[in-house]
Amino acid sequence: MNSKLSYVWPPILIAALFLGAWQLLVVIQDLKPFLLPAPSLIATEFSNGAMLMWSAAFYTGTTAFLGLLFGTVAGLFMALLAQRFITVDKLVAPLAAGLATVPIIALTPILNNMFNITSRTPRVLVTAIIVLFPIFVNVTRGLMQVNPVQLELMRSLNAAPRTTLRVLRIPNAIPFFFTGLKIAAPLAVIAALVAEYFGGPQQGLGSRIASAAANTAYGRAWAYVLAAIIMGLIFYLTIIAIEKCVTPRTTKTVKTT
Amino acid sequence: MTSGPNHAAKTGSALAISNVSKVFNKGNSNEVTALSDVNLDVHTGEFISLIGPSGCGKSTLLRVIGDLTGFDSGSVQVSGKSPADARRERLYGIAFQQAALFDWRSVSKNIELPLELAGWDKSRREARSAELLDMVQLSEFGTHRPWELSGGMQQRVAIARSLAVDPPLLLMDEPFGALDEMTRERMQNELLRIRQETGKTIVFVTHSIPEAVYLSNRVVVMSPRPGRITAEISVDLGERNELTRESDHFFHSVTAVREALRLHDTSGSNMSAHRGDI
Repeated sequence: MNSKLSYVWPPILIAALFLGAWQLLVVIQDLKPFLLPAPSLIATEFSNGAMLMWSAAFYTGTTAFLGLLFGTVAGLFMALLAQRFITVDKLVAPLAAGLATVPIIALTPILNNMFNITSRTPRVLVTAIIVLFPIFVNVTRGLMQVNPVQLELMRSLNAAPRTTLRVLRIPNAIPFFFTGLKIAAPLAVIAALVAEYFGGPQQGLGSRIASAAANTAYGRAWAYVLAAIIMGLIFYLTIIAIEKCVTPRTTKTVKTT
Repeated sequence: MTSGPNHAAKTGSALAISNVSKVFNKGNSNEVTALSDVNLDVHTGEFISLIGPSGCGKSTLLRVIGDLTGFDSGSVQVSGKSPADARRERLYGIAFQQAALFDWRSVSKNIELPLELAGWDKSRREARSAELLDMVQLSEFGTHRPWELSGGMQQRVAIARSLAVDPPLLLMDEPFGALDEMTRERMQNELLRIRQETGKTIVFVTHSIPEAVYLSNRVVVMSPRPGRITAEISVDLGERNELTRESDHFFHSVTAVREALRLHDTSGSNMSAHRGDI
């Protein structure tokens, strides 16, 4: 218990010190909100607009969630295909590097024209494409980077490739899948937010941040940013919680012979 | 060179290898003759060790027997069948230097893996894994995860797994190579006890001369470039016990194996080993 508390206190203390210093800086230097609003102002705006914050976060959160879901499914499917047809593990790394350089968010205006701009569809699509890559790359790696001795064991047991996939490759890929998901979840939130900057329905967090900033309501803009941060954290922590449930690897004491 | 075809005629042949050769990277500049004209007969219930320096082809020979790799010429018969058929019919179990247990499965489920793939139903699988856990003296650890076990215990689980479908032949590729000396000696006794209980034929690859002598009925000495069998030394220590390792008989056999190894080493001692164990 004591040791658990010692993990919790330092970050809280640092956060409190940081916010205190920020507040002090704004007050002493008399900084204008368009330069840097005080934490107290952001907090006031946040609590005053709590309902609006919630509905905006819910809209963008739904986009992020749908994108994460479809992107994950597509990424898993592609990884299974890749495992089937790419036999050399070495191909995965350059493929991953190549895909990482594609500026997917820049596709948004194009997708807005291709699909109905007044719908959520283009935003979900952009989010899904962004999510797809980390899932695909990590899961493919997990399916391919299998202990060669274990593969040999499967061969000695006369296992068909499909059986080896089910019994060895997929369980081996699960930690890799969660690594991919932990990268993908915050990316999904960012993508869903930024996709709103290119027009379309205005009820999301991204739209609200843009319009608040345009209307010189800087405190409110920052309050929406705070809501976006909280949403990203919720996504991330949910993934961690699921991972903990699926892979209970609490290390116990090692027994001796 | 004393081969033992007479044994095979007497008690049935577990393994018959004749004139087997294997070349890696054939036709390339880095061509390596891994096995050259290897002849070996193992009769049912025999324990033989393959020993030799790195690159002598002992692991390759084991992998040829298990159909984990092919060979270029000659013939191999495992219980009268081709290695591919023997593998398909699950006529051998194998244990490697790495225990290679699946972390995401409990110890019991690891032992049940070959049974699952052989299509046994759940109740039979569980009964069999309990029986095997008992045999390797890990009954309390069935529900543990492999990474909760020590190296020696993991290797015992791997041996139990290799025995799961009760195959007549056991192939072992330096299974105790990563263990400390004390654990290793204990494991050797365990293996001999299991062999006594099950009557398996065992082909055992090792680097260690005392280990080969202590375990085997026959030590097969191999030498590299090209990989071939250079001597076969019969060991007759009778029932092994705690005094065996200190007996004159044991020392004589160790010396005989050591000299057989050295005899063929001098010819190539000035050539540095430029390849790993193939």
